[in-house]
Amino acid sequence: MESLIILLSPLISFILISFFGKSIGDKISGIITSLAGAVSFVFSLGAVFRSLEEPYHIKLYKFLPLEGYDLSVGFYFDPLSSITSAVVTFVATLIFVYSIGYMHHEFGNWTFKFYAYLSLFLFAMLLIVLSDNLLGIFFGWEGVGLASYLLIGYYHQQLKASNASLEAFIMNRIGDWLFIFGIISCFLIFNSLDILTIFNKIPSADPYFLGLATLLLFGGAVGKSGQLPLHTWLPNAMAGPTPVSALLHAATMVAAGVYMIARLYPLFDAAPQTLKFVALIGGLTALFAALAATSHTDIKKIIAFSTMSQLGYMFLGLGVGDPEGAMYHLTTHAFFKALLFLAAGSVITAFHHKLYDIYSFGGLKRYMPVTYAGFTVGALSLAGVFPLSGFWSKDRLIGSYYEVSLVWGLLGSVVAFITAYYIFREGFVVFHGEERFRNRVGYEIREVGSEMKIPVLVLLVMSVIAGLAEGWYMKAVGGMEKSIHLDVALSSFILASLGIASAYVIFVKRIPNPEKAYSALKILHTTLKEQFFTEKLYHRVLAVGYLKGSKIVHTVGEKHIVDGFVNLLATAVQNVGKNLRFAQPGKLNWYAFGMVGGLSFLVVLLFVLLFTE
Amino acid sequence: MVRLLIFTFFSLWAIVSAIGVITFTNPIYVILWLLSALIAIAGIFFTAGAELVGALQLLIYAVAIAVFYVFVLTAVPWEKAVKKSSHYRTEGVLSFPLILLLYLEIAVVFLLGVTASPEGQLRGLIEKFGNTEVVGSILFSKYFFAFEVVSLVLLIGMIGAVLIGRKENQTYEDDTR
Amino acid sequence: MKTIPVEAYFAVSTALFVLGLLGMIVRRNLVTVLMSLELALNAVNVAFVGADYHMGLVEGQIFALFIIALAAAEAAVGLGIIIAIFRYRLVDSTDEITDMRG
Repeated sequence: MESLIILLSPLISFILISFFGKSIGDKISGIITSLAGAVSFVFSLGAVFRSLEEPYHIKLYKFLPLEGYDLSVGFYFDPLSSITSAVVTFVATLIFVYSIGYMHHEFGNWTFKFYAYLSLFLFAMLLIVLSDNLLGIFFGWEGVGLASYLLIGYYHQQLKASNASLEAFIMNRIGDWLFIFGIISCFLIFNSLDILTIFNKIPSADPYFLGLATLLLFGGAVGKSGQLPLHTWLPNAMAGPTPVSALLHAATMVAAGVYMIARLYPLFDAAPQTLKFVALIGGLTALFAALAATSHTDIKKIIAFSTMSQLGYMFLGLGVGDPEGAMYHLTTHAFFKALLFLAAGSVITAFHHKLYDIYSFGGLKRYMPVTYAGFTVGALSLAGVFPLSGFWSKDRLIGSYYEVSLVWGLLGSVVAFITAYYIFREGFVVFHGEERFRNRVGYEIREVGSEMKIPVLVLLVMSVIAGLAEGWYMKAVGGMEKSIHLDVALSSFILASLGIASAYVIFVKRIPNPEKAYSALKILHTTLKEQFFTEKLYHRVLAVGYLKGSKIVHTVGEKHIVDGFVNLLATAVQNVGKNLRFAQPGKLNWYAFGMVGGLSFLVVLLFVLLFTE
Repeated sequence: MVRLLIFTFFSLWAIVSAIGVITFTNPIYVILWLLSALIAIAGIFFTAGAELVGALQLLIYAVAIAVFYVFVLTAVPWEKAVKKSSHYRTEGVLSFPLILLLYLEIAVVFLLGVTASPEGQLRGLIEKFGNTEVVGSILFSKYFFAFEVVSLVLLIGMIGAVLIGRKENQTYEDDTR
Repeated sequence: MKTIPVEAYFAVSTALFVLGLLGMIVRRNLVTVLMSLELALNAVNVAFVGADYHMGLVEGQIFALFIIALAAAEAAVGLGIIIAIFRYRLVDSTDEITDMRG
């Protein structure tokens, strides 16, 4: 039962802070949140060791008995869920600690709300990770959606942030809508929502319905993980504070989609058509997001697109039948992506939350050595350079792609090259070169405080060493032990190096001059930057078209049909009333006459009824 | 036989007086005809052995209420009102068949009720103690609550009549300015 | 004992009642309308007493007493309303007070 503390400690922290945050202060709220995360992490480690021996199950209570099945609250700890919860709580705790420094300038301004939301976020994510039934996962799913809405829109005074939070909410809603239909179809097929019961019943299920159900469930994952075509919210979510972006992108929200499919993998395994679709979406997103990342200039959006791209990798891995590889990549990705975001957040903090364009920085490595080291290690890991963690997980995935089909393998390699290019483009522009911020800011640039440095350093270490745990991880979650493909490893290493080298040549040596190159390839650049105009399509065509359509429906349907009907009714009633006015002359004797007439009529009626029996 | 004759006499008297009530134009004559009808009805009550009700009919109705009407008719300056004919002739002609129909209907209902009505248990008591005593004992035991309510209604009606009928001071607008 | 048939009481009662109704319909003066109402109420009393006489009960007489009391209250309030109407409008006929017409 002590494993419940994993879930309870962020929940308690949320309740505590939301009720008493005003009186205990913002800093203490942040410390409570971090402590809750740490406690949760410690107990997650306990759960990992226990579940490695034997998976165990905690059934709390039934809250809604249905015919033949009782909806219940319960948690299932197997190696997959407990390791994921450990990773989530570890990264989240570091981000919480970091956020105390990052939000420092906001203290005194109801910042405890921020920590309450963070705790809620962690609780909801753990609910997804640990629940033993689909409904519990759905509760967590919605909780994550709510918390992300609140956190992305935390700077609600900015129109950009509130729009972004709304967009995230709506996009997630589309996904959740599909997801709940997936859950309903699972219930229809299996008459149960318990994951283990469902797995036992898979062989007897109708494969067509199973395909439909898994497709719907995957729709939920698409919405939550920002895959095509529900992707536009993810880069826009960067309007939130950087720790939120790190939390969203590293270990929690967007990972929920991947995790959900990995958790339900036996279900998806029984529906190979769906897996092909998953692979297609994942592959397309990986390429698409990587291309978009090459031309963006916002320090956080580049990393956001990189997250999308890496999630595409994971979905592709799930699609080609390597869920353990995908989950392993999710784990290493959590470390180095959080590292990248925290490094970017440190840069933003150093510039007092004013500058976001990478071309307004430059040459920061002298001023912020720790951040520089953190970013570089994160970027190297993301690019998949030996022997950092990203190398091991990515290599395993690309190896799996090649095993299934050459197309996917080549796609993985190309995306690996682009990834190395865009992340080092950002790194070189921000940390190398001339100091372009000089004429914009008057203050001296300083390294951030230790409460922000320490999480960066811890994540740096984890990004380096997490790759060594591959064998242990695979044994724990029951994945296949794959020996390293030397040709794949070598080729992707060379591709990554090529990517880094080209970024170095262009943005440090300036051959060719990047500004001139961008203006020469303006069409390509704009296309990539606008994400192949998908965002414009959604905002300008779909949203505006919907508004226009609503207006037309309003003017025609509402004004003429609905109102017309109501007005017709009113006119009819008025006319009837006008014609019946004579019955209400206001004269007493007429009323008495009416009474007499009515009474005699009623008595006649009575007689008729009495004597005809 | 004598009772029947007396009853017939009072009945005819009552009906003639009632016709007078609805036909005479001058309100003073009308109130006199009403008084006459009320006295005749009190006589009908006596023939039915209801001495108490008859006596109260005479005391309350024939004296108090009728005098009240006379007061109103004499104390209010009706001559200030626009003079009009006293009857609606069209409505009278129109409603006459309806009234006849209603009469027949009520008569049929009463006849049905008479054939279905059971014999009461109090006849022996009434013959032993006299009608008034039985009425009084039942009124003040079984119907005591209703009696109290009726007295309350009378009180409220009296206060209401005083409030409605009293002369308004014409200083209203000055006071509420 | 019962030398008078109860049907005779009911016949008289009904006659008085419909005459009262007719008075309410044909009378123009408000006070005379009220008097017709009193007549109708008395007709009901006659029916009550006659039924008592027929069935050997006293409940009818008790209700007759209540009706007399209520008639007194009704007369007081009704005449008060008529006087108030007369004071404000200087009218005494039912066709002048038709403010509630449709």
